[in-house]
Amino acid sequence: MKPHRRKRLAVVAFIAVSLSMATGLTLFALSQNIDLFYTPTQVAGGEVNIGQQIRIGGMVKEGSYESANDTMRVMFSATDYVNEVPIQFDGILPDLFREGQGIVVEGAIDSNGLFVASRVLAKHDENYMSNEVKAAMEAAGVNTENQSALAEY
Amino acid sequence: MWLWFSKLGSPKWFYELSGRWLPWLVAAMFAFLFVGVVWALLFVPQDYQQGLTNRIFYVHVPVASISLAFFPLMAIAGTITLVWKMKLADIVVKTAAPLGAWFTAFALASGSIWGIDTWGTWWIWDGRLTSLLFQFFLLIGVVSLRSALEDSDAAAKACALLSIVGCINVVVIKYSVDWWNTLHQPGTDFVLSSNKANGPDIWVPLVLMIGAVYLFFAVSMIMSTRNEILERERRSQWVEELVDNL
Repeated sequence: MKPHRRKRLAVVAFIAVSLSMATGLTLFALSQNIDLFYTPTQVAGGEVNIGQQIRIGGMVKEGSYESANDTMRVMFSATDYVNEVPIQFDGILPDLFREGQGIVVEGAIDSNGLFVASRVLAKHDENYMSNEVKAAMEAAGVNTENQSALAEY
Repeated sequence: MWLWFSKLGSPKWFYELSGRWLPWLVAAMFAFLFVGVVWALLFVPQDYQQGLTNRIFYVHVPVASISLAFFPLMAIAGTITLVWKMKLADIVVKTAAPLGAWFTAFALASGSIWGIDTWGTWWIWDGRLTSLLFQFFLLIGVVSLRSALEDSDAAAKACALLSIVGCINVVVIKYSVDWWNTLHQPGTDFVLSSNKANGPDIWVPLVLMIGAVYLFFAVSMIMSTRNEILERERRSQWVEELVDNL
């Protein structure tokens, strides 16, 4: 390779490496802000203030879902299987919502420790399968629900 | 090796070679697309959780994955432009940028449609969605940078540099779902066993659709590169002969 070309290649490589490092350090410093939601454990650890608009991510706790008879109000708990947060929501739930499902809720915690949600989003995992495969796996005693999401929380 | 490398940089050589490849690539693309679409839309089993909505997976995943290939491609071509000043390399940087913007826009749109039905929202500012939107704006930036600079040599250098810089964002997009918690699900690990999640009944049609979309990418890149070659070489003898023979 000719010397002037080698020099230009070195300049390009230097720019690429220094910019990657700058970006890497920035993202590392900002990682708390880039996370989409707090986990119930973070909430239990006091990282969230009362009245602060936040998102919480977790699983809908089995057996925690209750709906009012006369209004749209629903109550359930979001759990990461270590801690849980009670949630109240007045509105329409996404189709994928069910107990055991991963969800992300937007809203704020009131003074009683109840999370009043203004929006509920369903989170689906990266495992795709037919009903037949799911039935076969469950017959074999394998837990098919949100395996990786569990590991994540 | 070096002879082959310098030959590759010759627009005329590329124009002739790609003209011979193009019909085969188009034929292969339609074959993959036909089998892939019919299989993915009519025969893939319904997802246990998402039902029919999950079939948009077969459009979204191939398009989104190829949209991540543009910046690395442009960065390689841009480095060749900066170091060896090869004509063809700058043509690739120029033609890839608007195509990449289209592919990225399509990935964002198909993801939104999937999102409204499963998550319950068109958009959320999580790590994956935001970094992909950033890529879209970067590609628009590369396109406008070239048209903003009148000196074509300076424009080539500036675009090459921006392409190399844009590569960093591809790494961020790819690992966003692992580094941070997001609404977007992480990447899937496909398995060979047919009685587990993500088995061949799910991924075989995906492979066909990925083949179809990658071939479409190749065909559209080659066609717009050939266009740009004719435009830039319009005063050269071989292009004039080509036009005379029409």
